[in-house]
Amino acid sequence: MATADPEGFGAAATPETDEATGPASGGAVRDIEVDRAALEASIEGFAGPRADYYAGAFQRIHDTTSGVPRTFNTAAFLAGPFWAAARGVWGMFWAFIILEIIALVQIGRGTWGQLGAEDLAQAERQAERAEEFLQRARDAVAAGEDGTRFETLGNNLLRAAERSREAADAAAADAMGILFGGLALLLVLRLFQAVYSNIAYEKQYARWRVDPDATPSGFSTRNIAFGIALGAAIIPLTVYRFTIEGVPGWMTEFPADPDIYSSSARWLEAAIDDAARSGAGAFDGIVLLVRQILDAISLALIGTPWPVVMTVIVVVGWRSAGPRVAIFTAAALAYIAFLGYWEIAMETVALVGAAVVLCVVMGIPLGIWFGKSKRAYSFAEPVLDLMQTLPAFVYLIPIIAFFGTGNPPGILATIIFGMPPVIRLTALGMRGVPDSIKEAATAFGATRWQLLKDVELPLALPSIMTGVNQTILMCLSMVVIISLIGGGGLGQVILEALQFAAKGPGLLGGFAILFVAMVIDRIVQGAFRRADQKD
Amino acid sequence: MPENVVELSGVWKVFGERADETIKAARSEGIGKPEALARFGTVIGVRDASFDVARGEIFCIMGLSGSGKSTLVRHVNRLIEPSAGSIRVLGEDVSAMGKTALREMRARHIGMVFQHMALMPHRSVRENVAYPLEIRRIPKSKRWAISDHCLSLVDLAGYEDRLPKELSGGMQQRVGIARALASDPEILLMDEPFSALDPLIRLQLQDQFKTLVRDLNKSTLFITHDLDEAIRIGTRIAIMKDGVIVQIGTPEEIVTAPADDYVREFVQGISRLKLVKAHTIMEPLNGAGLPEGAPRVDGERDLDSLIDISVETDGPLVVEEGGVPIGVISKTVLLRGIQGGR
Repeated sequence: MATADPEGFGAAATPETDEATGPASGGAVRDIEVDRAALEASIEGFAGPRADYYAGAFQRIHDTTSGVPRTFNTAAFLAGPFWAAARGVWGMFWAFIILEIIALVQIGRGTWGQLGAEDLAQAERQAERAEEFLQRARDAVAAGEDGTRFETLGNNLLRAAERSREAADAAAADAMGILFGGLALLLVLRLFQAVYSNIAYEKQYARWRVDPDATPSGFSTRNIAFGIALGAAIIPLTVYRFTIEGVPGWMTEFPADPDIYSSSARWLEAAIDDAARSGAGAFDGIVLLVRQILDAISLALIGTPWPVVMTVIVVVGWRSAGPRVAIFTAAALAYIAFLGYWEIAMETVALVGAAVVLCVVMGIPLGIWFGKSKRAYSFAEPVLDLMQTLPAFVYLIPIIAFFGTGNPPGILATIIFGMPPVIRLTALGMRGVPDSIKEAATAFGATRWQLLKDVELPLALPSIMTGVNQTILMCLSMVVIISLIGGGGLGQVILEALQFAAKGPGLLGGFAILFVAMVIDRIVQGAFRRADQKD
Repeated sequence: MPENVVELSGVWKVFGERADETIKAARSEGIGKPEALARFGTVIGVRDASFDVARGEIFCIMGLSGSGKSTLVRHVNRLIEPSAGSIRVLGEDVSAMGKTALREMRARHIGMVFQHMALMPHRSVRENVAYPLEIRRIPKSKRWAISDHCLSLVDLAGYEDRLPKELSGGMQQRVGIARALASDPEILLMDEPFSALDPLIRLQLQDQFKTLVRDLNKSTLFITHDLDEAIRIGTRIAIMKDGVIVQIGTPEEIVTAPADDYVREFVQGISRLKLVKAHTIMEPLNGAGLPEGAPRVDGERDLDSLIDISVETDGPLVVEEGGVPIGVISKTVLLRGIQGGR
């Protein structure tokens, strides 16, 4: 293998650092001489073959005061991206192999491409049609009818065919231009690489000095073989595809097998059905539990006379966030009530409330666990990412399969989307508790429970509150989506309006959702701000 | 009641999976920190440390950062488990204690003060000080009363209802001391309590602390990286380097007879005036006659006061112990003594 051995690097690099600091210890800074020998030895360790050339080039780069160092790498000029591959400058390899393919395609088109072939074909088609019309015109005249209409059409088409032919000729004449353009581009790219290669290689050398194990160095035949293999796989096919008319179909279309699709879809469907059947009891139990929570909240919000609920909400707004929020709350509630959305808006609040309660009840303990155990968190993190990134429409389908339709499944879908923030921020808060304070509590004889209750939870509380607030907002954003699987509330109003493209009802319902969200957000944020100030 | 409140013997702490192998190799071959890291991937934190803390004394452990002093002190209340060796607190083996007994010992017998105060930001000063009592489920009325008393001991009466962040660094650390005193423990562990404070406040707190500990008759294990501080407040000092206790002795012993070059380098800058006693530098009588009319001084007098007496007379001083003359100090001897016996 052409790469130099690591011990060689070490031996070359160590004395260099010692000597470099030597002259600096005495005399003024401006008298310091550059220690070229030590640098050369180090570069030799890095570059391997042709080390002399690179030592000179790097020194010139180091000495340069202008923007662009004047070095010209003939090997990079001749071999282009393959020089970069051999030297392990992979970023440069990829950038320039793509640019060079563009140049090669131009050269290919100019040399053997059938330029204007399309135009020529069109001209022939147009001429045929023209001939057809002229024939009909002649027939009409022969039959003693008026053939001028057909004649005009035919003549027009003839002129169009003439123009197409001219375009084809012009395209064919362009071939020379395209060829030279491609050659010029290739030349410019190579010149650029010749100048840039040493700069890039010097940067790699600087990286190699910091981390010699992870940075490629020396001249590697394996790398050049790999580079050539990549080039052989990419260049010919690409150039062929873009220069030849009518390439075979396998080149443009992936040979997908429809059977694979249908059989895997069938298998998945059967698997989900089986799981839903075998776990029916458990799933029904979950639905029942969720329904009971929802019913309790609904009863409180809808069963209680509306003046009572309205007063309570406004007073809560006042107490937690001040008079301005209270006035806004009253106005928003008036809007909802006067438009007849009261009951349906309360259903939305109940849906969100049930989802948030479940998120918090499950999320905070999970967050505490993940905050304490790094291993558990490393397992949970991808799941949390999935819960947040997976589009809601994707998991609506399995939710229907397992839990059916209606409000409880809607709440479960909301939980999937809404729970990650409270888990994450609880874990974050737990991990942010200073070790010194935990140690102090332990040193005074606190049990683990006392440590959690007296130190960790109070100190993590601001973070946990932020998590709860985010979870509330996330749950609100699911209100419309869950109406797709039969969830009620204001989301259903929007869905119906959407189905009939009813602009008026849609907007009125939309504003109702907006106001519900704003009222909840204002009140919750106000309450949390109060709690923060107390600390 | 045993005379020693804390007894450590042969304590090792090795961080890493292969602690036992490291200790074995260190005992038989004497491998050091770098070899342990290279051979076993372990870090030797404390190496064969033994010392006792007598009742009522302030035992200082002095060492630079990374010398293992903080690690060592955490063995006393088992915040860190030892890899080998025995630790006895008030005559009981700490390593053998169960969870409950350990918590009980921490809550009743040991108070700890930390370098970064480690106060709970969400609790008032009073409730911070009362926390050790709250852990022991002492009723609120009682613990508030004790807490207020402890705060008055550290001159913080009137600040009970403030939050820690409203107090200055020095005051916060006094809260830390009050908290350590709250459960009236026999032993105080002080982990660099004054290091983060500015020098003037530090001097003030050192004096305050010394008086307080003497008045309350506590035994203290005091960690510091500052030899001046150790000499100022320590009854005895242990000097640590790379996890090893290099020397244990009174401040005078450390300054006059450093065990090795490392300690010598440390004590170089220390003023000997208040530390070195007359009997340390005197020349024995050896049967020679007493100089006529020379002032007599007690053997326990320090150099500072000897200078005051010496400037009043031309001749040497006679050192006596219990009224019996035991040696003489000429001006040359005194000057050399101040210099460090060169």
